[in-house]
Amino acid sequence: MMNQIAALGRIGIETVASFGRASQFLAGVVFGVPRPSVGFPLLIRQLYAVGVLSLAIVVVSGLFIGMVLGLQGYTILSDFGSEAAIGQMIALTLVRELAPVVTALLFAGRAGSALTAEIGLMKATEQLSSMEMMGVDPLRRVIAPRLWAGFLAMPVLAMIFSVVGVLGGMLVGVEWLGVFEGSYWGNMQASVDFVDDVVNGIIKSVVFGFVCAWIAVYQGYDCVPTSAGISSATTKTVVYSSLAVLGLDFVLTAVMFGNF
Amino acid sequence: MEPSAYITLKNVVFSRSGRRIFDGVTLDIPKGKITAIMGPSGTGKTTLLRLIGGQLRPDSGQIQVAGLEVPKLKRRDLYRLREKMGMLFQSGALFTDLSVYENVAFPLRVHTALPEDMIRDIVLMKLEAVGLRGARDLMPSELSGGMTRRVALARSIALDPELIMYDEPFTGQDPIAMGVLVKLIRDLNSSMGLTSVLVSHDVPESLSICHYACIIADGKVIGEGTPEQLREHPSEQVQQFLNGEPDGPVPFHYPSGDAASDFGVAGGTV
Repeated sequence: MMNQIAALGRIGIETVASFGRASQFLAGVVFGVPRPSVGFPLLIRQLYAVGVLSLAIVVVSGLFIGMVLGLQGYTILSDFGSEAAIGQMIALTLVRELAPVVTALLFAGRAGSALTAEIGLMKATEQLSSMEMMGVDPLRRVIAPRLWAGFLAMPVLAMIFSVVGVLGGMLVGVEWLGVFEGSYWGNMQASVDFVDDVVNGIIKSVVFGFVCAWIAVYQGYDCVPTSAGISSATTKTVVYSSLAVLGLDFVLTAVMFGNF
Repeated sequence: MEPSAYITLKNVVFSRSGRRIFDGVTLDIPKGKITAIMGPSGTGKTTLLRLIGGQLRPDSGQIQVAGLEVPKLKRRDLYRLREKMGMLFQSGALFTDLSVYENVAFPLRVHTALPEDMIRDIVLMKLEAVGLRGARDLMPSELSGGMTRRVALARSIALDPELIMYDEPFTGQDPIAMGVLVKLIRDLNSSMGLTSVLVSHDVPESLSICHYACIIADGKVIGEGTPEQLREHPSEQVQQFLNGEPDGPVPFHYPSGDAASDFGVAGGTV
């Protein structure tokens, strides 16, 4: 019994210590911005790796999710004879929920795991150490550009996801199932509010981008520098990011759309 | 004539995850000489280099490099001091996404504002010094182990440091590569007047090039002096290490319980 209490305490202490390390690490990265002349090219390179290379998976997923929403929405709404509302349903679902959340989940799997593995391997092969010994702070040189790239890329990817999803929904709803094109766009325009829906969706994806990128770079930086350690850090990145995104999504939704 | 010390360690105590690694290490590393730090695997020789480089902090004791107290330095001063240090890592630690040329150019680009043609000249000079000027366009994955270490060596001398630390430079090298490294370490020391610290457990190679050596075991310095003095050292432990005897003061067996009880032989009850 005493042992179990002690074990519980140890888990608690380890969790708090790990949060503390992650926050210290974050402060070091955020406040240690390199000179623009050095930092900007590094950031561009990471934006390419994290953002542009994630574009394909985001566009394809957005298209299919939009098409599925079109099909499902049509089947359900036509029972009530209101299939003309399919445009607003697809747009609201995507902009408020699916685009930020699904993009973040894809991002964690595609870019987050890659970031963790890359940084973890740099640690295991002593590249980070040797940088430190050369008088270059790896937090600024390696970590900061990657964190900022993730943070900046996510909202843009989520917006692209929404746009492609709406087009996919149109493909199925209008081109295939024959909903009148004017009502598809008209209903959408009438019901989607810029501040309430679009801006709130962007805020969500900004938060998710920050959390996913933070988890990914921290897991890489803090990993045990062995092959087993890197593999477990990569797994943790995907699991923690997904849980954090889904949990935060509930909290943000409650605050934004909860009406209390 | 006693040369002045470049690095001074006084009563350094360091422990990690509950295990005491150094228990009062006191050591002077003379300026402009090659000093070998030897000891069995797992005695924390690499840790000692990390303490000198300020990547780790001791629990107590003093570490001075070039007159500066390393553990007490502010972050900015520490990074400035590190520009005067080169370190050759065991794995080479080249940046795998950069070519050989860019690897050597990296410290120059970060720490100096030299124009590109000057950087080119310096990089080619450093690569020439290690005999790899022709390999400048290769990527690190295309290099052999010995070449990797030579490129890493060129990178660590790119900024003309005052101190260079070699972490196990001979481990896993074939005899020719080892001979090349021994020659390079000696040449660099004499031509550039570098203070060199060499961490190794390869006794013959280390003793053949160092001016001064010390042996660390069980968290303490157990013997130090010139190679000649060490070979005549009275301590059995030093002799065991230098001559590679399997059993002696350092036991062959890892500390274990009573053998009889482990094997279930009668009379083994404790």
